[in-house]
Amino acid sequence: MQNYKQGINRRIDRRQFLHGVGVSLALPMLESLNVTKLHAATTNDPVKRIVCIGTYLGFHQEHFFPKQIGKNYEMPHVLEPLTSFRDKFSVFSGLDHRGRNGHEGWQAWMSGSATGSVSMDQLVAEHVGHHTRYASLQLTCGTPPDVARLSFSKEGVALPMIGRPSVLFQTLFRSDSDRSRMEYVLKGNGSLLDELLTETKSIQRKISTNDRRKLDEYLASLRNVEKMLQKQEAWLEIPFPTTDYKLPPFDPVSPGQSLECEKLMYDLMALALTTDSTRVLTFLVPGWSQVFEINGRRLSAGYHGLSHHGNEAKKIADYNLVGREHVSRFGRFLEKLTDAKDANNRPLLDSTAIVYGSGMGDSNTHDNSNLPTLIAGGGFSHGNHWNNDRSAADSRLLGDLLLTLMQRTGMEIDSFAGANHNMNEHLS
Amino acid sequence: MKFLLSLKVLFFSSVVLLGDSLPQSVLTFTERYCHECHAGNENELEGDVRLDMKSIDWGSGESIEIWTTVHEVIKSMDMPPNDAERFPDSGQREEFLKWIEGELTQHSPPGGTLPRRLNRVEYENTIRDLFDYPEFEVPPSFPSDLTRHGFDNVASGLVISPPLLSQYLKIATDIADEFIPQPVELPHVDPNQYRIGATGLNTDEGGGGSLAGEVYRLVSSRNMASAAGWTSSFEVPVSGIYQLQIDARTFQTDSMFYERRKKPFQLKIYARQNGEQKYARFSDLRMIGEIQVPASETTDLSDKLMRVELFQGEVLGIRWADGPVYSDPGRIDLSHDFIDDRLLNDRSFYAAALKLNGGKRGSSQVEFYEAIRSLIESGELDLSNPALKKPPAVYGGGLFNGPHNWSKAYAQEQMHRFGPALDISRISVDGPIHVVTSQKTRNRLARSKKFLGRKPGKTSDMVFAKRFLGEFLSKAFRHPIPEDHLNEYLELVRKHRYDFPERRIEDALHLAIRKALISPQFLFRELGQGKMSHYELATRLSYFLNGTAPDGPLIALAEKGKLWDPIILEKEARRLLSKPERREFVRHFTGQWLGTRTLKDIMPDPRLLKFFNPDREALIEETEMFFEELLVGNYSLEYFIDPGFSYRNKNLNKIYGGELEESKMQRVTFPKGGKQGGLLGMASIMMATANGVDTHPVHRGVWLLENVLGQPTPAPPPDIPAVAPDTSGATTMRQQMMKHQADAACARCHKKIDPLGFVMEQFDPVGRWREYYPIYTEAASTTLKEEFYANQGEGTRLGQRIDASATMQDGTVLNDVRDLKRYLLANMELFTTCLTEKLLIYSTGRGLSFGDHRVVKELVNEVRDSNMGFQDLIVSIVLSESFLTR
Repeated sequence: MQNYKQGINRRIDRRQFLHGVGVSLALPMLESLNVTKLHAATTNDPVKRIVCIGTYLGFHQEHFFPKQIGKNYEMPHVLEPLTSFRDKFSVFSGLDHRGRNGHEGWQAWMSGSATGSVSMDQLVAEHVGHHTRYASLQLTCGTPPDVARLSFSKEGVALPMIGRPSVLFQTLFRSDSDRSRMEYVLKGNGSLLDELLTETKSIQRKISTNDRRKLDEYLASLRNVEKMLQKQEAWLEIPFPTTDYKLPPFDPVSPGQSLECEKLMYDLMALALTTDSTRVLTFLVPGWSQVFEINGRRLSAGYHGLSHHGNEAKKIADYNLVGREHVSRFGRFLEKLTDAKDANNRPLLDSTAIVYGSGMGDSNTHDNSNLPTLIAGGGFSHGNHWNNDRSAADSRLLGDLLLTLMQRTGMEIDSFAGANHNMNEHLS
Repeated sequence: MKFLLSLKVLFFSSVVLLGDSLPQSVLTFTERYCHECHAGNENELEGDVRLDMKSIDWGSGESIEIWTTVHEVIKSMDMPPNDAERFPDSGQREEFLKWIEGELTQHSPPGGTLPRRLNRVEYENTIRDLFDYPEFEVPPSFPSDLTRHGFDNVASGLVISPPLLSQYLKIATDIADEFIPQPVELPHVDPNQYRIGATGLNTDEGGGGSLAGEVYRLVSSRNMASAAGWTSSFEVPVSGIYQLQIDARTFQTDSMFYERRKKPFQLKIYARQNGEQKYARFSDLRMIGEIQVPASETTDLSDKLMRVELFQGEVLGIRWADGPVYSDPGRIDLSHDFIDDRLLNDRSFYAAALKLNGGKRGSSQVEFYEAIRSLIESGELDLSNPALKKPPAVYGGGLFNGPHNWSKAYAQEQMHRFGPALDISRISVDGPIHVVTSQKTRNRLARSKKFLGRKPGKTSDMVFAKRFLGEFLSKAFRHPIPEDHLNEYLELVRKHRYDFPERRIEDALHLAIRKALISPQFLFRELGQGKMSHYELATRLSYFLNGTAPDGPLIALAEKGKLWDPIILEKEARRLLSKPERREFVRHFTGQWLGTRTLKDIMPDPRLLKFFNPDREALIEETEMFFEELLVGNYSLEYFIDPGFSYRNKNLNKIYGGELEESKMQRVTFPKGGKQGGLLGMASIMMATANGVDTHPVHRGVWLLENVLGQPTPAPPPDIPAVAPDTSGATTMRQQMMKHQADAACARCHKKIDPLGFVMEQFDPVGRWREYYPIYTEAASTTLKEEFYANQGEGTRLGQRIDASATMQDGTVLNDVRDLKRYLLANMELFTTCLTEKLLIYSTGRGLSFGDHRVVKELVNEVRDSNMGFQDLIVSIVLSESFLTR
């Protein structure tokens, strides 16, 4: 007991020390962890969560976009699995970032510009991340190739993704034994950063002004990471949620099993949101050369080969079969978020804005314009198909739509990825 | 005489003390454009800067500082400010700047490197050496470094950001776990029986061979990703000893094509962590067993049990190792025999394959095979073609979307339908018979034992900790740890023991290691002030020439205080260049200077340019081996331009021509003075300065000015539309560029850039010599014959003849690249200056200051006067004032 107390004292010392150097501590609002209270307190903001889901190999535009504009469109072939959710999402055609083409251009999907800029989810995470154990989680299936990246930090660094369902499960529902080890390591690391702050300052006294500035970068990073650790440490005192959900005894991470993996990931994403473990999720649905078997039939070519269909009808049909599988899994996710209710007995979906689509416009030619885009949830009024006229003077960018979602979360932001128009009028 | 001379020096110095008087033109400039704010009353001086002096004392640091700033703001046009009354015209500005540059170069001291963070490569190497942990790699998500002045080891670009520091912290914890593992208790697990049927087997890529869910058909394969079967739905639940049994039988129809095989089929079983090593070759995977399946369809294998050790999280993979196609024996590929056999026996297939001619660009094996099938079904093939009577002259290779991979698809499909193949009906795994420590834990325990050393029984924990940390931290920080610093670490250990009495001393060391690995003393070098210490010098030298922390002998010399002795320093520089670690210097210096690092991002069209991945590696290898030979052999710098030798292998033959048939690199010689060889004939550089599709004279011209002639050009003004090659072949780049040169503003730089670029146009986007521009055609019109594989690539025809002649700005006429080489040899100081500057930036980690430029000039003179070799130049750099100054 004696030792424990001493630990507490040390930590208080550190806080005082930090105050002394002008750092304000942003510890998580622990009271907000009470889920009931949290939802009651913030009903004014319609959107509290953001989910971005992109399929790496895109969709066949002709079968993804409705032929008609407006409310009474005929449900396109690829979107058919979403028929019963018709009033819960909107379709946008003609939107893109006017960016580069090719697989690498995909990376710009949520950031708008060339690689190395911050993606929209990370901006939102900065805004809402302090409410939850994880400011954001980045997910995929298995181990996609290096170029398949969706989320980028403010420093332009591609964020690593969790590709194994069992790892995501562990992250959300950690066991007690993991927790005590984590706590021990975190506490240790916290004290190290503390000591290094002091030590570095004493080095700084001995060197030139320019050199000192270089070490200032290091000091700023130390402080920043220290805050991050303090947040993690504070969250460790809050028990992890529990669940009855059972994963299979193996991870379906072989490319051939990716549709199965996708289903598990959606299940866990719904759990991550209902347990309020995070409010920002990104999910990159990958594609390799795997040959799927759908409805008992082996498809005519590998998935990547199908995406380069060369306008052959048979291949397009098979490409669409895979597309429909993706969309139907997404439909299940929407269903779960509709069934889950918040404290006010409103569907969780109403306060969760989802963008679903792809950074690939036309996979056959690697063209990154006219990106398939759906917006679901978020308390918007849905059911519409809006087409952006790319040649019009008031043509909109995908960035405008992303900006609209960010503003919906209460963020004060008026431009993003070269875009600065709110598109609320197309979602009401 | 000597006496007189020193008198003269004395006299001279006294004048310097009074200061050099300013030339009239400079006085006029400052008076007109600066004095309004920077002269007169002490209290009215803007920014406390006075510029109304008549003379300057260049010996004072203050003057250097002021005039460096003046140079900066005049050059950037920040001064005179926008609201000034008068502005100098560009001629006046240039003249004024030129005068300052001259004075500063003459008078200012070299130096100015900020503390340098280890870059990604240095960090990786340093960790490997510090822990004797060669397999260490930073994770793929590790932030990359910024490039400044052309290199990623320049201090100003080596920023440290919160995500980077979190990565350092995470890696520190992971490494500490590897070397000081937590005690693990083996769990008790009841044995179980796992049955994996045909549908439980999968391939990673490709569709797998499950037949109606009954059996999994395995054709012979080397490719573990596309043809081996993996138990992707069974993950080893806990590390242990298991009993393994495989139910397999051979499948061979009485095919009209193929004789039944009598000898047993060899089945090999592998294990890997689920989701990892997806594209690993079978030889890199852990093989856990093999069985012989007799060549009979009725054999019962139920008695063939195997005891195997499996680790938690592993999946099992099986492959048929000695089938007719893609089987084990080395690189000998039996598939061509198999295919010949089939093609000659199956005319319809052969005729269809010929007609399709390798398939459409980007088509997959399956697509190609299907196209073949529909052609056969159409019944429209000409089966009387005499070509069908002999096997094809050349076969395609490639794994996925290459144009010629029909051979593999065909072979596999044939085996799948008619055999020979292996049918797997079930894999049974029973266990664990008993649990074992995981491979990971075992590795960790072995590492830990070596790392911590043995603790003698009587030694107290604190004595042990002091000895261990004293040694470890000195190595980590690259200098002996001072007593007070070590005490801080021991205090950390003591406190840990007090706070966590139940934990081991090892846990306290775990904490200390974590701290060391994120501390400034580890992450930064050259943190001190004033003259560099012997240890800092050792560190600078070692990272320059070996890309890692100083080795034992270097530290020992630093300890003895001998490294500043120029004779010893030279000896050490030469010693480091004789170590295999010099390859780090070779790789990363050439990778950035010559751009070979960028090759991995350039994707030449394999079909149009006949270029494949192994060719890329060969290009880089050639460049590095060539550079290394000049370095080790101390060749004179002319050899960079016209060496008369290089390295080649069969991949490079495709680019340079030649007879070599092996992948191993061989040294080849050729006459000097030709178009081959040297930086100006190096395919890697040609590829790095093109985009994989076409060439652009401006890109290569700018590159040559920047990296060979040492005359970097400013970036073009914004809003200039790019001139793109006309792929229809109607106009050449030269015609387009000449139009563009007519504009006087453009011409200033383009008169320098374009001639160099034009000369290089005779190298295609992968560095192959050409006389004509190609015109790419959509459909390939040739059939499977020799021309099909000619240099030009399929899908192209000859366009306009390339005119590589040009006149340089100084009037030198160049007919082709040979003349440019002659020009460079006649003006060697250009290249010598350029290379010296690059080396100095790379070694000191800074953009060169005015003083550094003076040192460069001195070095260049030295090279010329004493006919120095490349290695001598590097030694002179090491001994130079610039290298020796912080």
